[in-house]
Amino acid sequence: MQFEKKYRVVLGMVLSFVIVLCGTAFAAQKVVHVWHTETNPLSRTAIANIVARFEALHPDIKVEAEALAWGDLEGKIMAGLAAGSPPEVSHGQPVTCAALQNKGLLLPLDELVNHIGEENIWDQIKKVGKFGDHYYGLVHAAGTSLLVYRKDLAKEKGIVEGPKTWEDFLDIAEALTTDDMYGVTIPGDNLFINILTGELTKANGGILFDDQNRPQFTGKSMMEMLDFWKELTKYMPPGWEAHGYLETFANMYGQKAAMMYQGYGRGASLIEQYAPEHMANTDYFDVWIKPHGPGGTKPAAQVDEEPWMLFKGSRNPQEAIEFLKFFYEDDNYLEYIQTVPIHFFPITKSLRRNKDYLETPMIKKWKGWLDVQQYYLENDLVKPTLIIDWKDLAEKPYLMEILGSGILKDMVMEVTKEDVALEKATARAQKRAEELLERGGYAKW
Amino acid sequence: MRKIKSLSSRQLAIYGCALVLVIFAAFPFFWMISTAFKPLREIFAYPPYFFPKDSTLANFVRLFEQTRFLTYFKNSVIVSTSAVVVTMIIATAGAYSLTRFRYYGRERIASLILFTYMFAPIMIIIPFYVLIRKIGIANTHFALIMAYTAFCLPFNIWLLKAFFQSIPIVLEEAALTDGAGRIQAIIHVVFPLALPGIIATGIFTFILAWNDYIFVRILITSDELKTLSVGIADLYNATVIDWGMIMSGGMMITIPVLVFFTFIQRNLIAGWGAGAVKG
Amino acid sequence: MKISSQKTGIMLIMPSVFVICALLVYPVSYGIWLSFFRKHSFFPEQNFVGLANYVYLLKDPDFWMSLRYGTIYSFSTISLQIIIGIIAALILHESFRGRNFVRGIVLFPYMIPTVVAILLWKWLLNSEFGLINYFLRTIGIAKEPISWIGKDHIMTSLILISVWEFFPFVVLSVLGRLQTIPPDLYEAAKVDGAGAFSRFIHITLPQLRNVLFVVILLRSIWMFTKFDTVWLLTQGGGAEKYIRTLPVYAYMRTFMYYQAGLGSTLAVIMFGILIAFAAIYFKMFRREEGI
Repeated sequence: MQFEKKYRVVLGMVLSFVIVLCGTAFAAQKVVHVWHTETNPLSRTAIANIVARFEALHPDIKVEAEALAWGDLEGKIMAGLAAGSPPEVSHGQPVTCAALQNKGLLLPLDELVNHIGEENIWDQIKKVGKFGDHYYGLVHAAGTSLLVYRKDLAKEKGIVEGPKTWEDFLDIAEALTTDDMYGVTIPGDNLFINILTGELTKANGGILFDDQNRPQFTGKSMMEMLDFWKELTKYMPPGWEAHGYLETFANMYGQKAAMMYQGYGRGASLIEQYAPEHMANTDYFDVWIKPHGPGGTKPAAQVDEEPWMLFKGSRNPQEAIEFLKFFYEDDNYLEYIQTVPIHFFPITKSLRRNKDYLETPMIKKWKGWLDVQQYYLENDLVKPTLIIDWKDLAEKPYLMEILGSGILKDMVMEVTKEDVALEKATARAQKRAEELLERGGYAKW
Repeated sequence: MRKIKSLSSRQLAIYGCALVLVIFAAFPFFWMISTAFKPLREIFAYPPYFFPKDSTLANFVRLFEQTRFLTYFKNSVIVSTSAVVVTMIIATAGAYSLTRFRYYGRERIASLILFTYMFAPIMIIIPFYVLIRKIGIANTHFALIMAYTAFCLPFNIWLLKAFFQSIPIVLEEAALTDGAGRIQAIIHVVFPLALPGIIATGIFTFILAWNDYIFVRILITSDELKTLSVGIADLYNATVIDWGMIMSGGMMITIPVLVFFTFIQRNLIAGWGAGAVKG
Repeated sequence: MKISSQKTGIMLIMPSVFVICALLVYPVSYGIWLSFFRKHSFFPEQNFVGLANYVYLLKDPDFWMSLRYGTIYSFSTISLQIIIGIIAALILHESFRGRNFVRGIVLFPYMIPTVVAILLWKWLLNSEFGLINYFLRTIGIAKEPISWIGKDHIMTSLILISVWEFFPFVVLSVLGRLQTIPPDLYEAAKVDGAGAFSRFIHITLPQLRNVLFVVILLRSIWMFTKFDTVWLLTQGGGAEKYIRTLPVYAYMRTFMYYQAGLGSTLAVIMFGILIAFAAIYFKMFRREEGI
């Protein structure tokens, strides 16, 4: 009894001491909030490891890293900004970065870029986050959209050359369609329909908005694109509009579809995980360079490159920059890249040449997938979502709203699923987009 | 054989209907559990197996190792039980007041409470968020608890009011004249009779808080504060649709709640009926 | 009771009044106020525009479409829930072995988080790997896999899922009431020679009248404003367009178009419709006093 009482008193004292100690320790620590969209467990673990190493070097800084789903990110950032408590850094779509920069809500990342060395970064990457003379975003890793196809099936049909034009592509899709295999699969959700609309418009030499910001949805290029899309649906699963991006991958590795137009390097990891083992290689799943439309001459693809953004009004932006500097150091960056090696094209040339990077087993195995991505990046054939021309990023800050509104998705749905006439569907989308831009004060026509 | 014969055709029909009902309500759960124990390659097998062939715990291991499932679970428990306690206290006091006291504006308050019943989360989520932010409690569990309390309160007061009305005042008065204080009268006379109703409101609040998605989505930004609904939804939104892991997560959320409810369902039905029906 | 206890009464009701006013009445009023402004959802830009938002929506075909989808959705889910709920309650009111077990099972769907229910059904309804399509194809009803979450069937799937998820509420309410119907009523009817069906029509239904009045009112309010079930089914997938009910449209205007003014206007309209519905409903069906 006596002992127990004593014991309790001592324990109580120790506890309160610890609490006080922790309290002061926390008070002195500067917290950096990091939001990112790599929700897959491997990438989360990599980031947690990098954070742990960073914190060991900087005991006065605490990094709170959080993985958010794509769909929630924009809303969360906006809510945080409105509440006056944005995170220090976050991922975001390039169009989001552009919109926020336009409203003056971001801080420059020049110090980070200089630390990495401007010449060490791929030129294409620099175009995403540079507004005027300053960098307001720096891409965490690039991954371009890829036309993935079943090499074995194409061979069986005697197809050895990739499609040059949309016509070719439709022919191949038809040839590969069988009773238990769809010719092609594409995702039907809002983001990916927007991505594909932008990409196909570019591949067809068209534009989405003119210099007065007026939508160009009723033009010839859009009509051709929608025609192509509608033709394509003949070779797609009938319920394609219900397929998310991941389900299209399931169609691919589950052997339900022979091609996917909006594939990404991430798919290689999924194929390794889910496809029968003997098929999980480039003899079965390979990539072609994408075709162009009747109005275009060059292929076009989308690039998934979300920049890190640094927010004005956040508590510890300087510490956040320190963290990002640490993040891009070869060893750390490599660990991150290796979590989805075929999807994460490193933004630094030094890492791309790094021996350890080149020795990554998956990178050796799926080299063709990365080569096509490098080809796109070096020849400036890829643009972020809804971006046709690089200047759009700075000049068209309303693309984020267009993306969110689902106007383009509704138009595609009307044409492909409801058999609404092209003229009618495009006119309706045109009207809705014009209203949206007028209400937002962007109309200059 | 003999046993079946002794069943009347009417009883057979009842058993048949009950079986259909069980299948309708529970088959999805069976499939969830079956999927949760299947290895990756069996999940996508065609034709599907009803029972896992090589049953495995790998999905659960991934769930616990690669996600913050336990944190989400803990948060859900904290938020839901706090909401239940807070709501029960406020609602019981309110309903008791509305049935046992006369004061100016009582009827008006009663109809106001009934009126606020029509408010749905989607109608107030934006202004609610603005308010929570102004008070400075955005991204806290406290904000969630307040949200659930506010949302359950009208229903709970209304249900409890019907309950208290059905308890004759004479009983309390008798206790009072026996020399008991009001508090004692309440504890010994009113509470035992109203208990089924109080339990029913508690359960209603618990379900709402445990299941809620939209408030957590909007009010909570930190991963370590998320509750199960959003945590699990994010597993689906993640870069891989890992059906095995999602189903094992769904199972882990559902089973404790179901066990709990199966035990108290008798109480639940009695309380629900006697209260909600009164109107 | 005693007049001297007035103060105690007011003290006891104050927390309720405070919570309801601060966290429900105030936000709704603020929402109504917002509906007269053109306001960005997150940035402080706002202009007073009078009734312009309302005029805009009345001319907006998407608004009318969402009203239509919303009405179809709430009407079908409510009727099915009530019918299935009453039948289930009648069965569960009979005495048979394992009744408590079955009662417990039937409440399952209502108890699980919506998120889990939706994921579970998405998995069952998955067009390529889902169990339902496997069944339908095995017994020969469907030749091709049916795209349950695609344009043509998504509303059916949504209704099915919602009915499954919410019918236990009706079961609970009706069963509770059934247990309080005095058995002698049935005995008397039996003596009079009334059959089972006639007993249901003449004794059970009238006794259930009040509970059904409340249940239908509540379910109507909740189904008409149901957001999470509808939203989570597609989360912006292509077929989202075909189940874009009013709450979803309000959410989209606010969080995806960033037009908080229009979003609030939609919420106010939704609210107005509910009030009108409730008023008519009360006038038509309410006989007894006291709620």
